[in-house]
Amino acid sequence: MLIADEFFLIAHNDIRGKAKLHPTATGLGLAGGLLGELVLYGHLTVSAGLIAIVNRRPPADALAHTVLDQLVGESQHQSVRTWLAFLAQNATTSVGERLARAGVLRRQESRRLLRTSVSYVPLDPNTAAWPATRLRVLLERSEPPPTLADALLLGLVTAAGLSREVLWSAGPRAHHRLAALVAALPPPLKELVAHTEAAVGAAVLRGVP
Amino acid sequence: MSSTATIERPSNVSEALARGRLGVPSVIFFVLSAAAPLTVVAGVVTTGYGVIGVLGIPLAFLAVAAVLALFSVGYVAMARRLANAGAFYAYVSRGLGRPAGVGAAWVALIAYNALQVGLYGAIGAAAEPVLDRLFGVTAAWWLVALVAWAIVAVLGLLRVDINGLVLAALLVAEIAVILVFDLGQLGNPAGGQVSFAALAPDNLLVPGVGAVLVLAILGFVGFESAVVFSEESKDPRRTVPLATYLSIAIIAVVYALSSWSMTVAVGPDRIAEQAGEQSVALIFNLAGEHLGDTVVTIGQVLFLTSVLAAMISFHNTTARYTFALGRERVLPAVFGRTSPRTGAPRAASVAQSVLGIGVILLYAVNGWDPVVQLFYWGGTSGGFGVLLLIAATSVAVIAYFARGGGDETLWRRAVAPGLAALALAGVVTLAVVNFADLLGVTPDHALRWGVPIAYVVAALIGVVWALVLRAGRPDTYARIGLGAESAATVLPGIPGTPERAEAAR
Repeated sequence: MLIADEFFLIAHNDIRGKAKLHPTATGLGLAGGLLGELVLYGHLTVSAGLIAIVNRRPPADALAHTVLDQLVGESQHQSVRTWLAFLAQNATTSVGERLARAGVLRRQESRRLLRTSVSYVPLDPNTAAWPATRLRVLLERSEPPPTLADALLLGLVTAAGLSREVLWSAGPRAHHRLAALVAALPPPLKELVAHTEAAVGAAVLRGVP
Repeated sequence: MSSTATIERPSNVSEALARGRLGVPSVIFFVLSAAAPLTVVAGVVTTGYGVIGVLGIPLAFLAVAAVLALFSVGYVAMARRLANAGAFYAYVSRGLGRPAGVGAAWVALIAYNALQVGLYGAIGAAAEPVLDRLFGVTAAWWLVALVAWAIVAVLGLLRVDINGLVLAALLVAEIAVILVFDLGQLGNPAGGQVSFAALAPDNLLVPGVGAVLVLAILGFVGFESAVVFSEESKDPRRTVPLATYLSIAIIAVVYALSSWSMTVAVGPDRIAEQAGEQSVALIFNLAGEHLGDTVVTIGQVLFLTSVLAAMISFHNTTARYTFALGRERVLPAVFGRTSPRTGAPRAASVAQSVLGIGVILLYAVNGWDPVVQLFYWGGTSGGFGVLLLIAATSVAVIAYFARGGGDETLWRRAVAPGLAALALAGVVTLAVVNFADLLGVTPDHALRWGVPIAYVVAALIGVVWALVLRAGRPDTYARIGLGAESAATVLPGIPGTPERAEAAR
């Protein structure tokens, strides 16, 4: 499963799909995930707060393709923070749709008063609960070793303020391992995580949306 | 594949991010609603006349406005180049070094906490007439304060900032009521003749002038927050400075007019005595004589909502301050965490509430006077702390631009901040000299030196703490002053936040 997909599932309830994280942080975490996917697959790199495109070949995933097209099409914008803010605006919908296409979630529209609200409900609670469980196991045991993608996901989960979801009932060793894994990320991914954390914090400080 | 988009077309990214950007009026509304004008006019000014007993309050508002406008010239110019621009200690860190920055942060924590907790002392007096009229009941001030405390504590955790539209409506109503009251007072002068005695310049040449200047600073607290919206404003180079200057001007005119018209209605020779007797009821009693019951009731209800709104606003401001320091790890990291569901800075908010209830209970148990000893002392002590921060920031601005920033004019980077720093140093000196007048206590009272010394001690502890961090935790030391941005800015080779560089273009 792709990073933003797993982030989405961790940030939402595994049965009804209710949000566990406030919308701003969810959007920014997912945006970090979308950019992270492109970094991991060698399309982008991040350095000194700027995004550089290293490979323009279309990625296999349709959403990743769209994001890369946007990055290529508006190369005058390079700041990671600008792209995080931009992608965060629609990330919940676009990643939700991607999971719906993959048959993990079902799009559900509900009308309350005059507003239609869209939510994404898991088809199978076990699939939806798996990412958080998987990460928890990774942190508690030494086998199997976490992949780079896992470490990035853990970094984004922490940056968004969701580490409780993967750490509950975990011992001090898991806390320590989480910190060590994030600290050992390669520079572009570490920077991506740091900018996501800064953007989430800045949103809290602004207060008024 | 559309990777060869070479045709000039509008940028989706810029457009999407520009949507919902704030213009000058929105920023002004935000700044003024935190300033809670009716709380200042009905609460601070009247108590000030009573306690200090000096006629110069209207002029002090105008004088302080001039100094703050001068100060803002350099302040808004530096804000554009700064991460965490909403906090004075960020300027001090960048301008005068990180140890001074932590010292300023500690001073700020005390000052904002004093302001917030002080408001619990006013809510009882504000609620009294409203409860009496609506329900015919009287409640002890601390009971009302505890209810207000519970509301503030819960809203703080749910991160319910009162809806901007509600705040704007309240603000407009408050200012309208203040102006109606002012007209009523001016239309019914004591002795049949409008007296300009309070506006004579020699009112600022009396002992106690330092006290009225601090009182005036207290009225302006919140003017500094417009810079928070640099990134969300339509044009950071224009919107934020304009909103700052206009906010200062509006506050100055409203407060100077209201504090003058009170002296006209009561009589300049009797204002101190009457304000001392009637306290926060003064302007409502005056309105009752001239304008009739309905207007008074509206005014009293708005005074209550004004105090409540100010409480919520200061609670959130203070909690965010603590949150920023937790993000930097200058305070324990737990203060930098948020509640996942709401994004509220949870630990910071809870700490704030614990302090609040502690102080309410302390005053209730000891039977201390809530209006003068909690609201007024808390407010003026906090105002004095904010004055110290503004003064330190004005020096920091000069130091910062002395090291670089050559594209600002000489006026913005040196002359205006220099004049402001001189004026502020004068105000600080007068304030320290007149501190007993400010609090209305005898010169041998414990608080006369206690409050100023508390700030000095806090600043020194902050400096020492920064030096400890420099020796033992250099990573944390590097983050000082950066607030939430500290997460990204300590990485090697990242010069500040690129966002700001782009915005300041």
